[in-house]
Amino acid sequence: MKVTRESHDSAALFIVEGQVDMHTSPELRSQLRGALEDRANPVVVDLTSVAFIDSSGLATLIEALQATAKYGGRLRLCGLSPEVRNLFELSKLTSIFDLRDTREEAMQG
Amino acid sequence: MSDRAADQLHVTIPSDPKYLPLVRAMVDEGAALTGFAQEERHAISLAVTEAMTNVIRHAYGGDQEQRIDLTLDTRDQRFRLDIIDYAEYVSPEQIASRPLDEVRPGGLGVHLIKSTMDEVHYRKNEHGGTTLTLVKAPATTKEPS
Repeated sequence: MKVTRESHDSAALFIVEGQVDMHTSPELRSQLRGALEDRANPVVVDLTSVAFIDSSGLATLIEALQATAKYGGRLRLCGLSPEVRNLFELSKLTSIFDLRDTREEAMQG
Repeated sequence: MSDRAADQLHVTIPSDPKYLPLVRAMVDEGAALTGFAQEERHAISLAVTEAMTNVIRHAYGGDQEQRIDLTLDTRDQRFRLDIIDYAEYVSPEQIASRPLDEVRPGGLGVHLIKSTMDEVHYRKNEHGGTTLTLVKAPATTKEPS
C-alpha cells in the first residue's frame, strides 16, 4: 500500500494505492492522524487505486470520520470501486460516510 | 464427483499479517478455478481476510510467529476453505459482531464473513484450536429459491 498526501489550502488529500488490511491499515492511520492534528478540512481520501479494503481499513476510516467531526471538519471518500462500495454497503456505512464519485467533487468546499 | 487429492491444496503460513495478500492471491485463483465471477471472488477474499485477521488478532493475540494451516478444496463446484489454528479454542460467541447501527471502529469481521459466505462453521480441532470452515458456491450453480 502507498499513501500520498497533498495539501490544498486547509484541505488534505490522501491518495491511497494498493490493498488496505490489518498489515497496512496502521500506516494509513498514521498518515491520517497528521492531517487530523493539523485540523485539515475537508480531509479527502481517494480510494480510486485501492483494489482491496477490509474491516481494519474501515475501522481506520471510521476513526478518522469521528476525529474530524470532533473539530467540526469533514471527511470525504471518493473513487470507490464497486467491490469497495459493496463493503460499505454490507457494513451499513454508506449513509455514515460522505461518498463522492470524483476527487474534484470531494475537494470542493 | 471428483475425488482427486490434486483438487485440495494444503498451505501453512505464519500468523503474520504481511502474508494476507499472498493468501488472498491463492484464494482468488482457487475461486476462479471454481467458476466464481469477479465480484464473488472479491467477496470470498474479504471473508477469508476477516477470518485470518480474527485468528491473528484474537486466537493468537497478535503473535506473528504462530502457525495457521489452510486447506483449500475446490471439488464439487464449490469453494471450501478450512482455516486451522493451534491456539485455544475460540467459540463463535466470543467473537460476535457489534450491532451495525452502533457506528464505531471494529467488530465487523464476523458480520462480513457471514454476509459473504454460504456456510460458516467453527469447531474445536484435534490440536485444541479452532477450525473455521468457509463454504460458498458460485451464484450460477445455485438453484433459484
